[in-house]
Amino acid sequence: MVTSATLYNVLHWLNFTVDIRNVCVFLAPLFSSLTTIVTYHLTKELSNPGAGLVAAAMISIVPGYISRSVAGSYDNEGIAIFCMLFTYYTWIKAVKTGSLSWSVICALAYFYMVSSWGGYVFLINLIPLHVLALMISGRFSHRVYVAYTTLYCTGTILSMQIPFVGFQPVLTSEHMGALGVFGLVQLHALVDYVKTKMSTEDFNVVFQSVISTAVVLLLGVAAVLTFSGKIAPWTGRFYSLLDPSYAKNNIPIIASVSEHQPTAWSSFYFDLQLLVFLFPAGLYFCFANLSDANIFIILYGMTSVYFAGVMVRLMLVLAPVMCILSGIGASTLLSKYMKGLEASSPPSAGASEKKAKKSDPQSFLRHEISLAFVAMMTFMFVTYALHCTWVTSEAYSSPSIVLSARGHDGSRIIFDDFREAYNWLKHNTPEDAKVMSWWDYGYQITAMANRTIIVDNNTWNNTHISRVGQAMASPEDKAYEIMRELDVDYVLVIFGGLTGYSSDDINKFLWMVRIGGSTETGKHIKEADFYTPQGEFRVDKEGSPTLLNCLMYKMCYYRFGSLYTEGGKPPGWDRVRGAEIGNKDFELDVLEEAYTTEHWIVRIFKVK
Amino acid sequence: MARGILVLFLFICGVSAQNLVVKNAGRKVELNLVYSHLLVPYPSKIVQNQPQLVKYSGNAYPFLPYEVVSAKTVVTLSSNNIESYTKVKPVSVTDTSITYGPYENLPAFSEEEITVHYENNAPFLTVASLKRWIEISHWGGNIAVEEDVDVLHTGARLKGAFSRHEYQRGQSGPSSVASYRTFLPAAASSIYYRDDIGNISTSRTKILEDTVEVELTPRFPLFGGWKTKYKIGYNVPSYEYLYSRGDNFILQMRFIDHIFDEMVVDSAEVSVLLPEGAEDVEIVFPEYPGIEKKADSIFKTYLDTTGRKVITATKKNIVENHIQDFQVKYRLPSWRLIFEPLLIVVACYLMFLVIVIYVRLDFSISKDEAVEARMKAAGVLENVLSTQEKRDAIYTSLDAAIHTLKSSKDVNGFQSALKNINADHKNLAQSLGDQVSRLRSLGVPDLADKILDLQKLDKTLKDIVGQQVSLAERLVGNKIAKGNYVTEDATLGKKREELLERIHSIIGSL
Repeated sequence: MVTSATLYNVLHWLNFTVDIRNVCVFLAPLFSSLTTIVTYHLTKELSNPGAGLVAAAMISIVPGYISRSVAGSYDNEGIAIFCMLFTYYTWIKAVKTGSLSWSVICALAYFYMVSSWGGYVFLINLIPLHVLALMISGRFSHRVYVAYTTLYCTGTILSMQIPFVGFQPVLTSEHMGALGVFGLVQLHALVDYVKTKMSTEDFNVVFQSVISTAVVLLLGVAAVLTFSGKIAPWTGRFYSLLDPSYAKNNIPIIASVSEHQPTAWSSFYFDLQLLVFLFPAGLYFCFANLSDANIFIILYGMTSVYFAGVMVRLMLVLAPVMCILSGIGASTLLSKYMKGLEASSPPSAGASEKKAKKSDPQSFLRHEISLAFVAMMTFMFVTYALHCTWVTSEAYSSPSIVLSARGHDGSRIIFDDFREAYNWLKHNTPEDAKVMSWWDYGYQITAMANRTIIVDNNTWNNTHISRVGQAMASPEDKAYEIMRELDVDYVLVIFGGLTGYSSDDINKFLWMVRIGGSTETGKHIKEADFYTPQGEFRVDKEGSPTLLNCLMYKMCYYRFGSLYTEGGKPPGWDRVRGAEIGNKDFELDVLEEAYTTEHWIVRIFKVK
Repeated sequence: MARGILVLFLFICGVSAQNLVVKNAGRKVELNLVYSHLLVPYPSKIVQNQPQLVKYSGNAYPFLPYEVVSAKTVVTLSSNNIESYTKVKPVSVTDTSITYGPYENLPAFSEEEITVHYENNAPFLTVASLKRWIEISHWGGNIAVEEDVDVLHTGARLKGAFSRHEYQRGQSGPSSVASYRTFLPAAASSIYYRDDIGNISTSRTKILEDTVEVELTPRFPLFGGWKTKYKIGYNVPSYEYLYSRGDNFILQMRFIDHIFDEMVVDSAEVSVLLPEGAEDVEIVFPEYPGIEKKADSIFKTYLDTTGRKVITATKKNIVENHIQDFQVKYRLPSWRLIFEPLLIVVACYLMFLVIVIYVRLDFSISKDEAVEARMKAAGVLENVLSTQEKRDAIYTSLDAAIHTLKSSKDVNGFQSALKNINADHKNLAQSLGDQVSRLRSLGVPDLADKILDLQKLDKTLKDIVGQQVSLAERLVGNKIAKGNYVTEDATLGKKREELLERIHSIIGSL
C-alpha cells in the first residue's frame, strides 16, 4: 500500500497523472520484473551467471508465481516475494563478505518484507536455521557472526515499528528460534574467543560448565515465560503448518480456505512443470559443491517444499527456490554437455583435426550423447515455456469477478453479476447500510459497493464469522434474532443454481455450518443435522429438513421453485447440484428480496 | 406528452402588443415552453408490477398579459388511461387528448387550475448532475470528450420487493428503464462506457449517417428512486471543431450534448481543457440564461510544466432544446508544439549525463589498493592474451607460407614472407616482455612468472617451427628425400603439439 502510494505521489509530482488504480494494477507485474532481476543476482551469488540467467528466465514465466503477479492481483504477496528474494540476496552477500553494510541493507530489506507480508515469519526462521546449520557443520565464522548479529538486532527493532507486528518478535514463539540462535551465536563466538586464549584442557572444563548452565538457564526462562503467558503460544495457522491435519480437526475457519488446503500432487506439476524434475538435480549440485551460500539455498528448498506440501498458498514461496535450484541444475548440466559438444565440434586448427581422427570411440559416443542431451533439454525448455503460457492464460488470467461461459453456439457469454450487484448496493442502499454476507465477499463489497460489512477476508475475530455462519444455518426466526443483534440491513448470498456457477454459497454452506458450530454460541448447530440419514448433502426432497428450512437455503431458492432453468427438467432445477429443489413455494417472513442480478448469481435481501 | 412538458400556445393577438404587432393587423406567434419536473407521480410509491400514474397541474387558459379573444388548450397525454381531470367547461376528451375551450374573451392573466391524473409509463429519467470534460490536443489532432452522468429515476418510487423472477417474465415494471440511447457526434470514435468499477459490458454502438448511436444498458434496470452513475467518453478529430488562422484558434462545440431523448439535466458543469500555453482566452457562451462561468483553474498532466488552463461553466435545469454551440478563442504559439518532445529529449539527456558522471566518480572512502592492482593486472592480462592470440595467428600464417612454398617452390617469396613473420614475432615477444615487467611492478609476481614460462615455451616452439621451415626449404631444394621429410616433419609436429598444449594450459590458468 505504502509502495503504491509512494509511486503514485512520485509520478504525480512529475505531473504524470496516472490513476491510482492503474498504479495498483501494475504494481505486481512491476515487482515481478524486479523479482526476476533479483533472482538472477541471487543465483549468480550461489552458483554462476549462467545459472542466474536460466533461473531468471524460469521465474519470469513460472505459473506458481504468475498466479500472484498478474496485472491486477493487488496483493501483498506480489511485493513480498520480491522482498523475500532481495533479503535472501543481501543475506548471502552479507554472509559471503561479512560486511556491515550488506547486513544493514539486509535488515532494511527484511523490514520492507515485514511491512508487506505476514509470511516474513518464514524468513526470520529460515535465516537462523541457516546460521544454526553453519554452526553445526563447523562453518561458523566471523563473517556469519557479523551478518547475523547485525541483521537480528536491526531487523528486529525495525520490524517492531510495524503496528501489526508490535512486540511479537520478543513475545511469540514463532520468533523464539531467531532469538535463541542469536544467543547461540554469541555463545559460539565467545567460545571461539576463549578457545584461542586457553589451553585445551582448561577450555574443555570451562566449556562444559558454561554451556550446561546456559542451556539449563535458557530452558528454564523459556518455560517460565511460556507458562506465565508472556510468550504467546503458537497460533493455529502455524500448528497447521507443522501438522497438516491439525486445522481440519480443530479450526474449521482455517481449513475452509481453499488456499490453506494441503497441496495435491498434480498442482505441483501444474504450477511448476519441468522444475519438479530439475529441482533434485539442482539440489544435488548444491550438495556436491557445498558452500555457506549453498547450504542456505538447500535449507530454503527443503523447508519450502515441505510447506508448499502443507498449504497450497505456500506454493508461492516454493516457486522461486524451485527456479533457482532448477536454474543451477540446468545450467550445470548444460555447460557440462555443451563442452562435450564443443570439444568435438568442427576443428579450428590442423592440430586438433589429427586429434579428432585419433580419438577413441568413447569420445565419439560422448559427442552423440551430448547432442542428444542438449536436444532433450531444449525440448523440455520449449514445453516448459508452452506449458507456462497455457497455464497462465487458462488459469490465472481471467478475472474472478467477471465470469464467462460458452454458449451453445460457441459464443462467449459474460456473467457480470457481481459488479451488477455491488453497483446496485452502492447506488441504491442507504450509505450507512450494513451488509451481511459470507466473508469471502467482504473485501469486494467494501471496495466496490462502499458499504459496511459484518465480516470480511481479514476478520480476525473467529466468533464473529461463526455468528454469521450461525445466522445462515438457522431457521428464519432464529436467524432474525442474530441479524438484529448484528444490526444487519441487507443480506447477500451467491447462488449458482441458474447458471451452474459451482462455487456458490450452497456449496460452501457446510463450512458455514462447521464454523458456526465451532463456537460456544453455536453449540446447537450440528453438521450432522444437515445431512440425510444416509449421510448425504442434498437439496432436493430427500434432503434434511434442517437444511431445507435454514436461512441460507431459503434465500438462495426464494422464488426459484417456479423457474425453468433447463429444458426437459421440472421447474426449480438446480443446475449445480443437478437436483430439483425440495422446498418450493415458500415466503420469507423476515426478509424481502431487494435485488437479484440478471443471472441470479447474487441475491440481496433486505431485513424487514 | 412524455417526460418534460411541452406546452404549445398558438394564438392570434388581436389586442395591442406594443412591439409585436401593428394595430389591427394580425400576426402569428409561436411560443414554445418546456417545463421540467412538472409531472408528479401519484401515488408516489408503487409496487413492482403497478403502472405509474402521474398528475399534471396547469392552467386551463393561456397565461398572458393580454386580453384573449379566443383560446383553446389541448392536453396531449401518453396514454388513454385517464384517472381523472378537472372539468372547466367546455371540455372534451378524445383518445389521448383533452381539449379545454374554446374560451372567448378572457381577461389578461386569467387563471383556472386544472389537474390531469393519468397513466404515464414513460421513462422518468433525470440526470441529477452532468460533468462534461472537453480536452483539446493539438499534438494528436484530437478532442477528447468525457461525460460523467448521474442518472436518477424520478418516477414513482418502488415499494416493497424487487422480484427478478417477475421482471424476467416481462410483465412487470412498466415504468422501469432497462436501457436508453445516446446520440454522439458522427465523428466520435473509441467510445467507452464505464463506471467506478470498470467497463460496463452491456452497450451497443451503431454508426448512423449523421450520428453515432450508443445503446446504453446500465448494470441494473432502473426502477423508481433508483440511481446509477457512469462515464461515457469518446474522441473526435479536432479538424471538425477547431478552426485556426496562424496562431489563433477557435473551438466551436456543443455546450452539452444529447444523453437520452427528452432529457432533463438538473445541473451541468462543462469544462474545457486548453492546451498548455494557450493565451488570450475568450469565451462566447450560447445565449441562454443562468449560465455561470466559474474561476479558471490549472490542470497538470503528462509532460506538463506550467499546467493547462481549464475554463468551467455551470448551468442548471437543462433540456434537449438547450443543445447549442459555444466558442472558445485562444492563441497558441506554434513553438509550443515541439516543447514537450524537447522536454523528453532534455530529460533523457540529463539522465544519461548523470549516469555517465556517476560511473566515472569514485565514491569509496578509502582507496582499495589491492582491488585497483587487481584491476590493472586484469588489464595487463587482457593484453597478454591478445598478444598470445596474435602469436598463434603468426604460426598459422607461417604454416600457410610453408604450404605455398611446397607447392609453388617460390623460395624468394617465401624468404621475404618469413622475414616479415619473424619481425612480427619479435615485436610480440618484446611487448610480452614489457607486460611481464609491468606485472612485476603491480605486485603480482606469480602472474609475471607464468608469462615468463609462456615466453620460454614459445621460444622452444619457435625453434621447432624454425626446424620445420628449414626442413621444408631442404625439401624444396631437393636436399632431402620426401619420405624422410614426412617422418621428420611429423615428429616435429608432435613436439609442437605438446608445446601448444602446455601453452594453452598456461593461458587457461591465467
